[in-house]
Amino acid sequence: MGSQLALKGRIASTGSLEKIFNAQEMIAASHIAQAREVALNAKPYTDAIFDAVQTLVSHSHISHPIVSKEDDNPRVAVLSLTADRGMAGAYTSSIIRETEDLLSRLDADGKEPELFVYGRRGVSYYKYRNRPLAQTWEGDTERPGVEVADAISRALLDAYMRPADQGGVSELYIVYTEFINMVVQKVRVLRMLPVEIIKDEGAKHPDPTATTAMPLYSFEPSLDEVLDAVLPKYVRSRIHECLLEAAASEVACRQNAMHTATENARELINDLTRKLNASRQASITQELTEIIGSADALNKKEE
Amino acid sequence: MAGATMDVNIVSADHPVWSGTAKSVLVPAYAGGMGILPGHEPVLSVIQEGPLVITEPDGTKHSFEVTDGFISFDSNKLTVVVEHGRTMANQPIDETGIQ
Repeated sequence: MGSQLALKGRIASTGSLEKIFNAQEMIAASHIAQAREVALNAKPYTDAIFDAVQTLVSHSHISHPIVSKEDDNPRVAVLSLTADRGMAGAYTSSIIRETEDLLSRLDADGKEPELFVYGRRGVSYYKYRNRPLAQTWEGDTERPGVEVADAISRALLDAYMRPADQGGVSELYIVYTEFINMVVQKVRVLRMLPVEIIKDEGAKHPDPTATTAMPLYSFEPSLDEVLDAVLPKYVRSRIHECLLEAAASEVACRQNAMHTATENARELINDLTRKLNASRQASITQELTEIIGSADALNKKEE
Repeated sequence: MAGATMDVNIVSADHPVWSGTAKSVLVPAYAGGMGILPGHEPVLSVIQEGPLVITEPDGTKHSFEVTDGFISFDSNKLTVVVEHGRTMANQPIDETGIQ
């Protein structure tokens, strides 16, 4: 039976840990509202770009390097989105596991993957293991702004548009965590480049009086220049979307992890309190037996 | 023509800037200022940095500073997609539009 003082000390320290976990949980809960707001604000832009790309696809046959590229270059880029801070359960470790899976799959296909990492945890993981990283970004994984998305997409598009003999890449994969709901987040691998554009057939022109043929669009200054302007923005907004989703997942993971930690701390405190009570009761019983025993002994002597 | 108004929606990368109905919009298009009235032919145009002026049906004007993006006009709906957009001044400017 442990000493009562030691038990009291452990209860006190577990109690303060519990308070910290609880605070972290509440912080994560408040960040979720912020993450949702950022995502809602970015949505109209993403939708508008998507519509424009759909228009371009339905009115012309696109032959732009972002949409299709010759496939003899074995180098491919992999971007993995991890967290800046820990305390988020298995968030970063599951991303890293999936990234490793993807890298070995690509290796087996005879590709040469180059790794890009966003998030301090992922960067330090790979730095510690001396793995060559093509480029890294840190900071703001919980609230990725347009600037971060811009920096990332610029670097990746740059690598993609470079010719193969100058170290260009032929494909881009993104490993990120999809936010399904507050409880479920799933790691996903997405091939971002070359872009696969799905034609939206029908249902767009419900008005029967409209001409059956698509209205003639005019592109200014020219179709190619419009493509040059719109497609990079499309890629950037897709990357931003991934960042936002990863951020929401990170916050949700952190909240869940902290919730579990708080509950564990409470359970531990209950356990320790029970032990403390038992030990105090035992010592009281022992004292009583001693007193009664000695009193008995004294009484017997008098007789 | 249906009261001769069109829907206008201005969005920037991190937040929606403005949306509503207008009777004319002046955009800083690739080859200089381009006026868009309701019923314009479908167009997708790259725009430059510059001022964008919206005239509401009651004559109120709003002007915005926009940078680098594109506009698309289809089915009487104008969408302006820009990197950064902000309202230039909250008070309406005079009839000449762009100074």
